[in-house]
Amino acid sequence: MSAHQHPHEEQDFLFKYVFSQDHKMISKQFLITGFIMGFIGLSMSTLFRLQLGFPGESFWIIDFLLGSWAENGVMLPDKYLALVTMHGTIMVFFLLTAGLSGTFSNLLIPLQIGARDMASGFLNMLSYWFFFVSSVIMLISLGVEGGAASAGWTIYPPLSALPQSIPGSGLGMTLWLVSMAIFIASSLLGSLNYIVTILNLRTKGMTMTRLPLTIWSFLITAIVGVISFPVLLAAALLLVFDRSFGTSFYLSDIYIGGQVLEHSGGSPILFEHLFWFLGHPEVYIVLLPALGITSEIVSTMSRKPIFGYRAMITSMLAIGFLSAIVWGHHMFVTGMNPFLGAVFTFTTLLIAIPSAVKVFNYITTLWKGNIKFSPAMLFSIGLVSTFISGGLTGLILGDSALDINVHDTYFVVGHFHIVMGLSGIFGMIAGVYHWFPKLFGRMLNNKLGNLHFWITIVSSYGIFFPMHFLGLAGVPRRYYTNSEFPLFDNLLDINTLITWFAILAFAGQLIFFFNFVYSALRGPKAPQNPWKANSLEWTTGVKHIHGNWPGEIPAVYRWPYDYSKVNENGDYVTGEDFIPQIVPLGEGELDGGGH
Amino acid sequence: MIALVAIVAVLLVIATAVQILKIAELRATESGKEIYEISAKQSKAQAFLLMVFLVAYFGFFAWQVWKWGGLMLPVSASEHGVGIDKLMNITLWFIIPVFIITHIFLFWFSYKYSFSETRKALFFSHSNKLEMFWTIIPSIALTVLILVGLSNWNKIMTPVASEQEHILIEVYGQQFSWTARYAGKDGKLGRASVEYIEGVNALGIDVSDENAKDDKIVKGEFHLPVGVPVQFVFRSQDVLHSAYMPHFRAQMNCVPGLKTQFNFIPTITTEEMKKITNNENFEYILLCNKICGAAHYNMQMDIIVESKEDFEKWLAEQKEFSAE
Amino acid sequence: MTTISLDNTKYKAEIRQKTAKPLLWIGLISIVMFFAGLTSALIVSKSNSIWIKLEVPSMFFVSTLIILFSSLTYQLSLSFTKNNQLKFATITTILTFVLGISFTVTQFYAWQQLYESGIFWAGEQSNPSGSYFYALTALHLLHLFAGLISLLVVVTKSILKKYSPTNVLGIQLSLTYWHFLTALWVYLFFFLKFIA
Repeated sequence: MSAHQHPHEEQDFLFKYVFSQDHKMISKQFLITGFIMGFIGLSMSTLFRLQLGFPGESFWIIDFLLGSWAENGVMLPDKYLALVTMHGTIMVFFLLTAGLSGTFSNLLIPLQIGARDMASGFLNMLSYWFFFVSSVIMLISLGVEGGAASAGWTIYPPLSALPQSIPGSGLGMTLWLVSMAIFIASSLLGSLNYIVTILNLRTKGMTMTRLPLTIWSFLITAIVGVISFPVLLAAALLLVFDRSFGTSFYLSDIYIGGQVLEHSGGSPILFEHLFWFLGHPEVYIVLLPALGITSEIVSTMSRKPIFGYRAMITSMLAIGFLSAIVWGHHMFVTGMNPFLGAVFTFTTLLIAIPSAVKVFNYITTLWKGNIKFSPAMLFSIGLVSTFISGGLTGLILGDSALDINVHDTYFVVGHFHIVMGLSGIFGMIAGVYHWFPKLFGRMLNNKLGNLHFWITIVSSYGIFFPMHFLGLAGVPRRYYTNSEFPLFDNLLDINTLITWFAILAFAGQLIFFFNFVYSALRGPKAPQNPWKANSLEWTTGVKHIHGNWPGEIPAVYRWPYDYSKVNENGDYVTGEDFIPQIVPLGEGELDGGGH
Repeated sequence: MIALVAIVAVLLVIATAVQILKIAELRATESGKEIYEISAKQSKAQAFLLMVFLVAYFGFFAWQVWKWGGLMLPVSASEHGVGIDKLMNITLWFIIPVFIITHIFLFWFSYKYSFSETRKALFFSHSNKLEMFWTIIPSIALTVLILVGLSNWNKIMTPVASEQEHILIEVYGQQFSWTARYAGKDGKLGRASVEYIEGVNALGIDVSDENAKDDKIVKGEFHLPVGVPVQFVFRSQDVLHSAYMPHFRAQMNCVPGLKTQFNFIPTITTEEMKKITNNENFEYILLCNKICGAAHYNMQMDIIVESKEDFEKWLAEQKEFSAE
Repeated sequence: MTTISLDNTKYKAEIRQKTAKPLLWIGLISIVMFFAGLTSALIVSKSNSIWIKLEVPSMFFVSTLIILFSSLTYQLSLSFTKNNQLKFATITTILTFVLGISFTVTQFYAWQQLYESGIFWAGEQSNPSGSYFYALTALHLLHLFAGLISLLVVVTKSILKKYSPTNVLGIQLSLTYWHFLTALWVYLFFFLKFIA
């Protein structure tokens, strides 16, 4: 009868923590759900690394965790593919799209532009709950008959359309599609909110050129999302029709399981076009927020304005625009028209220009700075390093002639894990270290943070760098084992080394999760502005309140990067090395670093 | 029992870690500072580690090249592949220096400008000259790469002209094996469709088609003559496959409902390659490089490149389709 | 210095006034992209040799006229509300709703026409061109159902006299969406007639 006795309190709890419409709570919900999914995705990769590093060897942990997916401690070949597929899906969409954008767009957009909340708290809440439901469905699909979807995260038909071709394309694939449809709805609702909030609810004086780069990156990410996610939904729907109703959008001339299928007139290539029209922008949906977050951190911790603020914005706009017209570089060897291939090579390599500008601007921001190495700053430096290391190999893959021989090999796996996976995760983790005081009102432990960084960067390069060599030796991706080919006999050492690093990386993340949980509950109380930063979020109180500012929303008078600004005598203008955005411009003082 | 011990052990580790953190916090507060404040000394220590990392990272890179460089694919066994390898080298000669130089700047600046109480950071917000400079330089470099790349690409993707002497081979993928079909004397492949698939006729060849009669179907391995252009046609029976012949720098997807094509000229025989790689057991190989099901990892066919005479002898021994 | 109260409902109402329309507009952009994806898929599929060119069933002409007319009546309803002629406004809103239902009915008739002329949605005798016909029109209808629900809300509120010349945001939102559905249908109609 307790429910009857305290209806009010329970309702409070429900609306505060569960059906909250407050952007700060929704941000935490996204973060925690995203991390749980991320942890599951990470564990999956560690398990299939065991199989690749020690093919055919028996592990009790595989028996214990995989149950019927394994036999005598060795995972089954088709279940290996299920793990690979789910790892990719979870990491790309659930951790690095929803977890990253959902957390930081929600937390920072209202706080940094000076708004009381998102444009629509209700849609924002729906966005989270759609995400939650789609996460649950995706996890349920792991337990169904036939196993989870196993056609790779790109779910190319006919493999994904025909349960006869692989068991995972039965109920598991259906749930995958249902989950993704809900996920897309969640992502669109989120994006709508982010765009409208940024365009309509900025505080007085917050012009577009006074927005922190984080906000710019979230804005461009959301626009790219609104344009590309609906196309994935269209692609997925047509796949559903083919699977469930017998239409022939993607299928034609197929003989499988001893019979000719009725489908005729479709083309799997069509699916690839539709999929990659989202799929490639998706890379930048992951990457741009990470770049925005680290731009902010690098500037703050170097005590210097971000170098080339306007060039950074232009670069992000250029990347966002180009990302929508390069999808064909995933399809150079599908038999598409060679002329089209040439066009896509051209647009793809163009992306290198704004990317290079961003890298040089990061480096110049460090030059003559006064850099404090917080864990967030270390991860930001790590991001610049991974962005360079992974981005450069993109010049090889984006070149259609070179792509012929490395397409779908481990070279690709190494490339995108470094440039998109690591950069995305480094950006996200940097953001968590930096804005943890804003999220939970407490500080993370720096020493554990530093340790976490060193283990992570060493192990992740240890995992992904050698993969380039596997690729150049001709090893295809998504192979259950390389032991069937004499050609690959000498490469087992590389795989074993990678697996050891993967185990190390997994252990390193446990340190982070411990630090996270401990500090959220018991960490030292945060001061209002721990990093002495300029942007608006640090003018709000440590304790969260609805509406963010107790009184009027402060007006803004300058850009957010006035660090170490000095007058003619070489003294700091305000006596300190930072000038928050709410401080009015002095006499004759130029805004925006004199642009 | 083991699980119980494991759980207890994990709990103990967590409890110890919590205690250590608490003590550290107390000590920091006693010294009048907050534990989360980052001193110049701590910053310097991390900056130093970054330098160590830079050296280690380059060292790791060099070690890998030294240790595994010999395991990479040998010289290209096809004519166009030489061009691809050359283009690859040009690209590598561009990206490796960029990789090294940018990393040196990134980590050196991090180290050099690590926090100090006395220094002031330079307020340096933009410079049109610098930004122009590093927009234009990559643009020029990329233009070169694009031009060289595309001239290669166009050459590679042009099919063999029908009047030129060549061999026409169809490579057919199905879960989980490859089949090759030679066009035979008439140089034409017989019509094929899924509707005709029955019993031994796994390729669905139309028996009534005249062109099909002299087609030759082989499994397990197929042979190519050195120095003669080979025009490949690819088909698939069920799902997507990708015919990947790494030694020839050749790859093309096999798409159900669609015919795709690729062509190359083999330049090195299997025997010669055995000497080049110093490996008695060397074989060229065709493997599947598009996820196609549970046994995707074991879908292979050997390729044997030999002199034209040997090839013709071998081909003459193969049965014609009408004889089966 | 005035202090805006922290009363939850108050700032939320302000935010709603300011952002409801842009939210809808950007939502519409995502729907445009959805149909752009589908129609460009059709263009790609068309290049297949098996493609059969189909005639648009005559019922689609009727449904096009109906939906165009419904847009007009809905627009009138907004004008009436703004001029405080609430009774006429209610009548035109109900009329729009009826037209919306008629549109739905004509779509079903059109599918029947298609089916009877041997154009099937799926199965052995189907052709992708037929599947696209059904898929595109059905997905449009699915979006129209959302419009009908919003119309139903407007009708109810209109009967309950919840709108006034100064309080028309709800109608405006629903109207914009309805116009969008009309435009989308006209696009699909011409696309199916001339391109497919």
